[in-house]
Amino acid sequence: MTITLALPSKGRLKEQALEVLEKAGLKVVMPKDQRNYRAQVEGDSKIDILFLSASEIARELGYGSVDLGVTGEDLIRETLSAADERVQIEARLGFGHADVVVAVPEVWYDVSTMADLDDVAAEYRQRHGRRLRIATKYWRLTQQFFSQMHGIQVYRIVESLGATEGAPASGSADIIVDITSTGSTLQANHLKVLEDGIILKSEACLVSSRQSADPAAVAALAQRIQAALASS
Amino acid sequence: MTGSRAPAFASDLAALISSREAELVDIPVIQPADQFLDMAGEDLRRRIFLTENENGQSLCLRPEFTIPVCRNHIELNAATPKRYAYLGEVFRQRREGGNEFFQAGIEDLGDANRARADVRSLSDAIASIRLVAPKAELETLLGDQAIFEAVLAALGLPRGWQKKLARAFGNPGQLKSLLADLSSNQKNGSLPERLAALVSASDEAGLATELEQDMQAAGISPGAGRSPTEIARRLIEKANLASVKLPAQAFAALETFLAIRVPLQSASSHLRNFSKTNEFDLGPALDQFEARVVAVREAGIEQENIVYDAAFGRPLDYYTGLVYETRALNHLELGAIVGGGRYDRLLTMLGAVDSIPGVGFSIWLDRLEKIAP
Repeated sequence: MTITLALPSKGRLKEQALEVLEKAGLKVVMPKDQRNYRAQVEGDSKIDILFLSASEIARELGYGSVDLGVTGEDLIRETLSAADERVQIEARLGFGHADVVVAVPEVWYDVSTMADLDDVAAEYRQRHGRRLRIATKYWRLTQQFFSQMHGIQVYRIVESLGATEGAPASGSADIIVDITSTGSTLQANHLKVLEDGIILKSEACLVSSRQSADPAAVAALAQRIQAALASS
Repeated sequence: MTGSRAPAFASDLAALISSREAELVDIPVIQPADQFLDMAGEDLRRRIFLTENENGQSLCLRPEFTIPVCRNHIELNAATPKRYAYLGEVFRQRREGGNEFFQAGIEDLGDANRARADVRSLSDAIASIRLVAPKAELETLLGDQAIFEAVLAALGLPRGWQKKLARAFGNPGQLKSLLADLSSNQKNGSLPERLAALVSASDEAGLATELEQDMQAAGISPGAGRSPTEIARRLIEKANLASVKLPAQAFAALETFLAIRVPLQSASSHLRNFSKTNEFDLGPALDQFEARVVAVREAGIEQENIVYDAAFGRPLDYYTGLVYETRALNHLELGAIVGGGRYDRLLTMLGAVDSIPGVGFSIWLDRLEKIAP
């Protein structure tokens, strides 16, 4: 019986994921054809490697169609409802750091906390004839943070699939929820993060599906990677 | 319209609610989603069945009736007062129980005699339950947003605090953490020197001019969202609030109030004693409350175990006065069998030109079925 380990299919995330595996003595033999999305581990026929986009990895872990995967915690929590019931974070890998944050225009000098934002949202409709608009691709995280943690009910999410930081200037939204690693893109767009506006400190994680058909093999592989991380 | 999956009592119930001077309306199952997300908040998004049409417009399966019934009323430009009844399926994603279930109810729009309309709603709701479960032991919790707001005003709290607390009505956790916040100081974040000086001079116009320049530099249109004046005003307001503290006495009075939970028939005298002890004037809100209690007695439903709970409310901004829900004491796990309330702000928010008062209730037929003998 084989288990499937899904890895990000491109970029820095892919390289760094492969490095972690190599530290654990798992050398991935890349397919001869670069367009092939499957690979093997040298000397271990029991592990299938599958290259997918990071958000697909989150989804497939939720379905249980891959056993383990490397992806961002932000994508896990955004893609899956009741994530902790469906998957388990086995290890934090120390790369791909990004915070999911609430950011508002710098010029909103009167707004520095979520409590301020609550005031602004509550009066928004009365003043402007519409609800406060939040541009984001993280609607689940936004909704949990605003509605459940901070009791803010009245706002609208505007789905934004790219260049979210530009939404307040373009007028398509008032504020944003997005990822930031250095904060420089936010700054360039004259946005600031609220003092208590960090929704999630995300990084790349090794994640297992709770629906795997072979939990013992999954646990063994996860332990092997954990051990390699601990000794490095 | 009731379909084969409706409980056996559905047609009798439909007959009962439509016999109470209410027109039975048919509301399409597929609805524009925006109206629900706008009114009830984004929290609803994960609980409704959303889809899109070819043009990208968000549509959903009807998650409730009140909003589309009111919208329908506005679109038809119908005369008020007007009462609508409905019975049909609603669709929500629930972790337990089915995703499709039936609701029935009455929306009463435009009756200027609020006490009478409130009690009519209560009587109709209880009669609907009694039709199916005549002997069930019921308890109806009754709350009042207007009384809560009147108490906040009487405490002499700054306007900003009153509004903040009023929004948390019915959400005990949030209310508690707000009260803790308000007992401590709130401050403006670090401000650039040039702005700080204008704030401490309460120079709203000067501040707005500075902010407008900042906005233009940042490429944000000062006319599109929050205006420079709005931000300036709130900065000054916050600076003034930072020096105010919630006095211990006000804090204690508020806690005493929120703990009031008495049979409705003694609630008026309870509230009157409370305001006398604290030297509060609860004004028209208390008059309205008392008129409602009298109307309950006149309607002959005072034996129905109605309990006034001062802390009971719904944290949604279109509820304005009465809120209530009826539960079965032998089946508390079901939650509310009926939920109702007054939503005087809803029709304006949905686009009505004139202000139209409204009160209504909704019965969960699947829960009602479970308490039927």
